[in-house]
Amino acid sequence: MDHQGHSQNPSMGVVGSGAQLAYGSNPYQPGQITGPPGSVVTSVGTIQSTPAGAQLGQHQLAYQHIHQQQQHQLQQQLQQFWSNQYQEIEKVTDFKNHSLPLARIKKIMKADEDVRMISAEAPVIFARACEMFILELTLRSWNHTEENKRRTLQKNDIAAAITRTDIFDFLVDIVPREDLKDEVLASIPRGTMPVAGPADALPYCYMPPQHASQVGAAGVIMGKPVMDPNMYAQQSHPYMAPQMWPQPPDQRQSSPEH
Amino acid sequence: MADSDNDSGGAHNAGKGSEMSPREQDRFLPIANVSRIMKKALPANAKISKDAKETVQECVSEFISFITGEASDKCQREKRKTINGDDLLWAMTTLGFEDYVEPLKGYLQRFREMEGEKTVAARDKDAPPPTNATNSAYESPSYAAAPGGIMMHQGHVYGSAGFHQVAGGAIKGGPVYPGPGSNAGRPR
Repeated sequence: MDHQGHSQNPSMGVVGSGAQLAYGSNPYQPGQITGPPGSVVTSVGTIQSTPAGAQLGQHQLAYQHIHQQQQHQLQQQLQQFWSNQYQEIEKVTDFKNHSLPLARIKKIMKADEDVRMISAEAPVIFARACEMFILELTLRSWNHTEENKRRTLQKNDIAAAITRTDIFDFLVDIVPREDLKDEVLASIPRGTMPVAGPADALPYCYMPPQHASQVGAAGVIMGKPVMDPNMYAQQSHPYMAPQMWPQPPDQRQSSPEH
Repeated sequence: MADSDNDSGGAHNAGKGSEMSPREQDRFLPIANVSRIMKKALPANAKISKDAKETVQECVSEFISFITGEASDKCQREKRKTINGDDLLWAMTTLGFEDYVEPLKGYLQRFREMEGEKTVAARDKDAPPPTNATNSAYESPSYAAAPGGIMMHQGHVYGSAGFHQVAGGAIKGGPVYPGPGSNAGRPR
C-alpha cells in the first residue's frame, strides 16, 4: 500500500470509476457549485431538473435531521460511557480478575524488541485501557450500523468508525480499502452538506446499488487532515505474515500472573 | 511452523477451534474476551459478525503496540529500562487518548495500594541498577530461567523500523540484560 504523497485535503473523491451512477459519486469540489436553489451543477456538468431538485431537497432535510439526531445520540452514549468508567473503576477491589489475560497483553507488548522490562502494573493498566478502547470503538462502529439500518455489526462499520475518529488514525492500515471505500462514499455528503445541493444526499439513498457498481472501481484517494507523516510511516507495516513473526526467546520463560 | 507453542498461550488456545496458527493466536487477545466486551457496548439484540470481532482483535493489538512503542521511547530517552504504569498513561495522553487517562489514574493508584499491602518490592520503579531481587513477578521468571532454559532458535526479520518488526541480534543464552548495542533506533 503506497502512502507517498498522501493528500492532506479533507475532501474525498473517487478516481477512474467508469461505472458511476448519474448523480451519486461524482468528484466533489466546493468551488464548482453554482446555480440557483433547487438546481445543482456538478463538476462533470450534470444539471438536475427542478422537480428532481425539489425531491432531493426533501431528502436532504430529512437526512440532516436524522443525522443530527444520531450524532447527538452518539455523544450522549459516549458521555454515559465515560461516566460509567469512573463508577466501575471505583468498584474494583480484586485486581486478579481481568476481562483480558495479562500474559497475552505482556506478550504483545514484548513483540517490540525495544521493550525490555515491564513492571507488574503495566499489563494491569492495559487490561483496563484495552477494555475502554474496545468499548469506544464498538460504540462508534455501532453508530454506523444504525445509520445503515442494520442490526449486525460488520467490518465496514469498524472501518467507518476508524475513518471518522482522529485518535484511531493509527488503525487505518488494518481495514482493507474496500471497507474504506464504502465509508468514503458515505462521507461525501456529510463533508459538503453546508454548501452542497441535494445531489450530495444521493449516496445515502442509493447506497446499495451504488456500492455494488463500485466493486471494480479504481482506488479511492482519501485525505488525512490530521495525520502526522512520521506517525503514519510507523504504521506502514502493521503485521507480518504468520511464518515471519519472530518469537523473542525470553518470552518462553514468561508465566501468567497467579 | 515446527516451533512449539508457548505454554502460557495454551490455555487460551484450547477450545477455540483455531483457524489461525498457534503463533498467530499469540498476537491477539482471545476473541471470546474481545467479543464479550464488545457486547457490553451494544444493545441486547445486536449481532456481531465474525470478521468484525477479528478486526477488533487486530485493532486492540495495534493499540497495545502503539502505546507501548511510545512509552518505550520515553524510557529510552530517560535511560530507564522498565516500562511502568505512569509511562503508559503519559503515552496515552501524548497519542490522543486523554479520556482514558483519568479513570486509569485512579485504577493505578488503587492497584499500587493493593500491591503495597503485599510487598513494597512488587512496585518495581527502576531502582538502578536493576537486579533480579528487585524485578517484579513478571520479569523474574523470564530471567531466572534463561541460563538453563530451552532457547528457541528461529530467524529474525530485518528491515525498516516498525512497531512489529524486530531489529538487532537475537538473545541466545546470553547475559540476563541485553547490552546497549542490541537496540536499534526507530525513526519518528
